[in-house]
Amino acid sequence: MSESTDASGKNGTARVAVVAAGVISPLGFGLGETLDSLRAARDCVTAVTRFSVAQCRCKTAGQVPDERLLAERRKCARPQRFHRAAHMMIRALAEALRQDAKFKPELTVIGTTSGGMSYGEDYFRSLHQHGDLRRSPTWIANYPAQKPVVDALDTFGIRAPCQVIANACASGTNAIGHAFECVRSGRYERVLSGGYDALSELVFVGFDSLQASTPEKCRPFDRDRTGMVLGEGAAILALENLDTARARGAPVLAEITGYGISTDNFHFTQPNPSGSGPRQAMEHALQSAHLSAHTVDYINAHGTATPFNDAAEGKAIGELFGRGVPVGSTKSMMGHSLGAAGAVEAIVCLLALQHQFLPPNINFHAPDEDADLNIVANKSRPASLRTVLSNSFGFGGTNASLVMQKFEA
Amino acid sequence: MSLAIAGMGWITPLGGGVDAVWERLLQGDEAHAEKITEKFDDQAYTVFRVPDSALASLAPHPRLRRASLISRFAAAAGLAALEEAGVKLDPRNAERVALVFAISNGGVIYTKRFYRDIVESGAQSASPLFFPETVFNAPASHLAAILGITGATYTLVGDGAVGLLAMRMAEDLMANDALDYCLVVGAEEVDWLLCDAYHKWRLLRLEPPVEPFNEVARGMILSEGAGAVLLAREGLIKIESTHAGGNYRKRDEAEDVLKRILCDLIEAESGFVIASANGTFIDEAECRAISQVIPGAIVYTAKPALGESVGAGGLWQVIVGGQALRQGERISASRAAAATARGAIILSCGLNQQIAGLCLGVDR
Repeated sequence: MSESTDASGKNGTARVAVVAAGVISPLGFGLGETLDSLRAARDCVTAVTRFSVAQCRCKTAGQVPDERLLAERRKCARPQRFHRAAHMMIRALAEALRQDAKFKPELTVIGTTSGGMSYGEDYFRSLHQHGDLRRSPTWIANYPAQKPVVDALDTFGIRAPCQVIANACASGTNAIGHAFECVRSGRYERVLSGGYDALSELVFVGFDSLQASTPEKCRPFDRDRTGMVLGEGAAILALENLDTARARGAPVLAEITGYGISTDNFHFTQPNPSGSGPRQAMEHALQSAHLSAHTVDYINAHGTATPFNDAAEGKAIGELFGRGVPVGSTKSMMGHSLGAAGAVEAIVCLLALQHQFLPPNINFHAPDEDADLNIVANKSRPASLRTVLSNSFGFGGTNASLVMQKFEA
Repeated sequence: MSLAIAGMGWITPLGGGVDAVWERLLQGDEAHAEKITEKFDDQAYTVFRVPDSALASLAPHPRLRRASLISRFAAAAGLAALEEAGVKLDPRNAERVALVFAISNGGVIYTKRFYRDIVESGAQSASPLFFPETVFNAPASHLAAILGITGATYTLVGDGAVGLLAMRMAEDLMANDALDYCLVVGAEEVDWLLCDAYHKWRLLRLEPPVEPFNEVARGMILSEGAGAVLLAREGLIKIESTHAGGNYRKRDEAEDVLKRILCDLIEAESGFVIASANGTFIDEAECRAISQVIPGAIVYTAKPALGESVGAGGLWQVIVGGQALRQGERISASRAAAATARGAIILSCGLNQQIAGLCLGVDR
């Protein structure tokens, strides 16, 4: 077994490989379409169609088109019952298993924030308005957060138990990070990880009520940024002990080498302006990977484009990495998919490492004087990447950072 | 890796405090049933609620000022577990403590209120004060802030098995020497909407008693509260083994998953089983699995007395098992068996496809 000693006191011994991956997001269905959208700096945020946003400030979101999702739906058993989040999970998992059909996970760790929330909305609305409740057993049974995960696993005959992490917007990164630690510790050889979230009215209105979402374009790290737009999607990363993966001839797409988590108790919905929480998570991730800050070639920032979040993250990145490292938020192109975001952005990092390019931060016009960062502005560009870092921060002051590296045998 | 229970905290419809609730269980008490109604529907349901007295000693904290009941239950149970263990957190050790929070329905009271405003009056009337409390990790965040935890905090969401899945996750986290403790908390609050949902799902009965392992599954009574277990490297009650769990696709598959988990967990010294039987279809699955894998096992479920608290339920089972081993006194007729028992199996079969288990032990 490949050995490593962890400076942070962690008992990691195994190297952890990403052996398969799948994704569905506003950027596209699958790795290929996602890569094309990233390279083309495509703006995939559109007018919301799933529910009325007439009374909201924000009118847009990154959305997965139902026409294509419905086409996939016909291939499933009991398709009319599944929540669309389940169909997104099925689509992402199918892509991963096409790459490595022999991947048999011992555990599944998936992040989400709202499960099958729109079914809960359907149920409540029908109940409240004395409407048609004939579908209520389906809504109720498919509302819980673990259901889309179990549905996806069951579709492919996978019986691995699932841990569903709901750490707000950091959920996806937390799920991959915990899965990474499970494999690294030697307690598991193969863990399926990822995240999902589907757009829902309650969550959309919630962010709108907080005035966190914007009626304008999403402009992370821009001086004139005015807030986030929501998104949706699902992503899967199959993690395996590197030695066992190579022994069975599995493809190694990249390595995960570090993970950091911190809890910032400053305020439930706002980060500490000092950036201490994000900084702590990034420092832990670097320690976990036995790397110094100057070795990082690209940071996929959390970058929601809210004034407070970007300021805190920008400060933390600036203090820890200086101005040199390229930084970008791909939420500018697809919106913030909450529990899926960390997993989708891990896929973005994977593609960046595989194809040696910097994904763009679109809608960027003017640098923020308070955050002197090297933003990958508006266009993707070729780059030599060995080490990348992905950040996710969420309500409740939960912060998570992941280090991924190009696989070198 | 050695893992043990260093402290426990318990907030239930039978009151607060491990010893106090335990005494009431030994006396055969059952929680007081209360009617719960909703203004837009005529149907009333029966629930077991936490009495105000159970939270009387919870000190005020800014984070709890607007927090939902679930956060208060969790705070009271978490603080009690640390107090029982004699552990005080400060900035020097705050990073060496992890928090794993188990939840199923979450902050349903504020979630309903927030969405009801949207349905009744439109998005413009939605309150920004309520929305943050609808997020699954709100109770964990409040508890972390109250305790000053700055390291790993995870909220796990799932069905009634989530408490034991959280225990498994805690064991995974404690494989890391950088941690000294892991606080595992499960919490839930009841609301009419949950009762209605479970009723429409044909899993709820309208009046007590809860009749576990009955020939006819007449349904459960929902309850609320929290349970907290502080895990450390040393302690009287050992976590002998945890199980990563499993999923069942259809109800009639639950028995097989339960059997597999029991076979993995069973040890010669397993004295009794703390089951999750609650008056629903899971009772038969548990009964058949236990009788086939551990014939003659002594089985106990606290759900007739405490109700089904879903996200908190698994932690309550762990507390019952831990307290029985600690006191050498199992509830019900076979107390002598517990006095000599050196282990207990905790088994949770959720209503929505998840199953988990673990094994506790004690050195006598």
